[in-house]
Amino acid sequence: MVSILTFIVMLVAGAVVLGFISVSAMFLIWWERKVSAHIQTRYGPMRVGWHGILQSLADVIKLLLKENITPEGVDKPVWWLAPFFAVVPSVMVFVCIPFGSLFGINLIARDLNIGILYIMALTSICVLGIFMAGWGSNNKYSLLGGMRSAAQIVSYEVPLIISMVTAAMFAGTLSMQKIVEAQKNMWFVFQPNMALAFIIFVISATAEINRTPFDIPEAESELVAGFHTEYSGMKFAMFFLGEYTNLFIVSALAATLFLGGWQGPFLPPVLWFLIKTYGIITVLMWVRWTFPRVRVDQLMSFAWKVLTPIALANLVVAGWILLR
Amino acid sequence: MDTLKENLQTEEFWVNMGPQHPSTHGVLYLEVKLSGETVVDLITHIGYLHRGMEKIAENRTYTQFIPFTDRLDYIAAMGNNLGYVLAVENLMKSVVNDRAKYIRVIIAELQRVASHLVGITTFAQDLGAFATPLFYGFREREKIVELFDEICGNRLTYNYMRIGGLQFDLPKGSDEKIRAIVKYMRPKIDDLESLFSSNVIFTARTKGVGVLTKEKAINYSVTGPNLRASGVKWDLRKDEPYLCYDRFNFDIPTGANGDSWDRYKVRIEEMRQSLRIVEQAIGGLPEGDPTVKIGRIIKPAPGETYMRTEAPRGELGFYIVSDGSTYPYRMKIRSPSFSNLAVLSELAKGIKIADVVCLLGSLDIVMGDIDR
Amino acid sequence: MISYFKEIIIGAWSLVRGLFVTFKNLFSRAVTIQYPTQKLSMTERYRGLADLRVEKCIKCYMCVKICPTGCLSLAHKENAEKKKEFEHFKYNMELCCFCGMCEQVCPTQAIYMNKIYEIAVYDRGKITHIDLLNTEKYGEWAHPTVK
Repeated sequence: MVSILTFIVMLVAGAVVLGFISVSAMFLIWWERKVSAHIQTRYGPMRVGWHGILQSLADVIKLLLKENITPEGVDKPVWWLAPFFAVVPSVMVFVCIPFGSLFGINLIARDLNIGILYIMALTSICVLGIFMAGWGSNNKYSLLGGMRSAAQIVSYEVPLIISMVTAAMFAGTLSMQKIVEAQKNMWFVFQPNMALAFIIFVISATAEINRTPFDIPEAESELVAGFHTEYSGMKFAMFFLGEYTNLFIVSALAATLFLGGWQGPFLPPVLWFLIKTYGIITVLMWVRWTFPRVRVDQLMSFAWKVLTPIALANLVVAGWILLR
Repeated sequence: MDTLKENLQTEEFWVNMGPQHPSTHGVLYLEVKLSGETVVDLITHIGYLHRGMEKIAENRTYTQFIPFTDRLDYIAAMGNNLGYVLAVENLMKSVVNDRAKYIRVIIAELQRVASHLVGITTFAQDLGAFATPLFYGFREREKIVELFDEICGNRLTYNYMRIGGLQFDLPKGSDEKIRAIVKYMRPKIDDLESLFSSNVIFTARTKGVGVLTKEKAINYSVTGPNLRASGVKWDLRKDEPYLCYDRFNFDIPTGANGDSWDRYKVRIEEMRQSLRIVEQAIGGLPEGDPTVKIGRIIKPAPGETYMRTEAPRGELGFYIVSDGSTYPYRMKIRSPSFSNLAVLSELAKGIKIADVVCLLGSLDIVMGDIDR
Repeated sequence: MISYFKEIIIGAWSLVRGLFVTFKNLFSRAVTIQYPTQKLSMTERYRGLADLRVEKCIKCYMCVKICPTGCLSLAHKENAEKKKEFEHFKYNMELCCFCGMCEQVCPTQAIYMNKIYEIAVYDRGKITHIDLLNTEKYGEWAHPTVK
């Protein structure tokens, strides 16, 4: 009987997580459109609901109802699987993101003692989805986009993980919940070398989730839409969902690892967590709508010549501080 | 290692950019041969917007052709209007009065500012600064377009210049508005510059990309800001003054290297110089009526003329042959974008595909001008 | 080594300056309008559709002759008192390029451009054969305000 109860709880938890992800993605799409619109001194969506807040819902319905075009000449299995590879790993990451506690319940699906390792492993899978989409589409633009994305994500994973390791070293644990608790007295970001790690984390995370100024896999002005040129309807929506889920995840990770996660005075922990996460997301949006895109060779040289050495040096300094 | 290299086969492949592509500025079709990300060969195909303007001109009276010139370079329609009416006036050896000349200068220079705003900001859009600079550029351009709307009654296809004068005089209070625009525009140009010029990503993307040397620029008859960016100080407003440009003080900005950065920088500087000209012209605007009637039927004596003006994109020339009838016998339009585009395939070899887009944006072409 | 860090710091500062420009605009007022609910008023010289003051027209054919695209077609006949009478005066808006030459050339200001700019229709015949002699021809079209 216990096992059935556990099963039901798991189902409900899964449904809640999926619901949260899709609502959050829809909210983020609306928010991004609003932020970009106000940066560009226009209104953005205004028609559907209050200030167009239901616009994304309308768009989702539109995408669901659209025809799912499969072009001739695609590598069918790869082409079909690609959207799932783009979404599923990012959903799985939600397992060990600590949302804080609400009415005494800890909102974390499973506080794995190797939480960071698990997250690193899963975020690396995301590149597969993009690469499969690029390869399977049998389109030259998509192929270029997929190739670029493989090179980019693999390169930027190095500084990303090194900066995450710095946080883990200071906390002395790999469990996400414990990392948050370690920041009880002072957020990590207020220590000078952790502040550097935070900046490196945010920059490489921007590259990891293919946002401007590092959005070369889908570089609109040269590659039309990059890896998802050939996708339409629901499959396109899956890529979109994956993109915005990833955006949420990296911001949640930045908030958890460096900004004290759900810790904060007065307000309930969940609220603190969401405020921090959406704050970082807004900054990322602000950056996106300001800067041009870097070129692919500049992108690689920035990863290997600037970010990685600094991240490594930072790691060494962190070790020295801890061993002092 | 050697066996690996022998067994590893790489292939060059063709990619079709356009005619429907986000960054080809209209219906330009580029065939790009790529080796990985590097361009090996580039072929430009034009003609998707060909309307046969030169043939149309042979079947229209001299006045009737003015609205058609709006459709050549539709980003800077006033420049075309001006070029055409000056050519016909040259053919008829008629002169316009001073007020008309001054208003023409003001309008042409404001049009240059509007056109360069579009040129620079679409260039930034091509570099991937998604839509934000474009919106700023269009917001600033809107002030000028609104003024033109008030002056001549349309926002894009102005049809304002007339042979021998102008369609209307400036409406009341527009000199105040023009002064206000000049005042408004200066800090906005500075803003745009601080969004781009100091930006490390923008400089990294543009500096040293698509270097057009002085000799090559002259050999390909590149004109306008693109030529000046290569370091050639050639501006028809100074070197072959038409209208009353010789009465104003302005500098001709030139670049040193002829790369995309210089082309951008020259445009920014040119906008400032244009505002200077506008300021001087509005200060010395004579009184009178610019709408001179020279008779409804225009019948130039048999002969031919070539009149070139400095349009925002370069040298715009009209070659008109008259056989004494009301229709031109032959008209040839030398459009600036056409020559400027010709240099693309030469410059594109050996650069990255992302730089082709950057290069194309920095050349600032308009397809209506190329295909005619 | 020093130049390496200097370059990074200068680069970072330049990016911050760019962010400042967009931040300034984030809180400035929107310059666009909400089109179907909010409408711009047209300028005094705006050139919309061609319209005719029927009683003023002297059938001189100047507008038909000057029109660069040939979108106006006019025919007249003489009645018993040797006065010109309209046979038809049609306007093909599909061909019209809104240059305003007809308005400028008209000796009696009979033909003029009105301010209508919402000219999308479902029935194509509505714009290809506009009868300028009909006074109610633009009755159902939206007439914008004028500045």
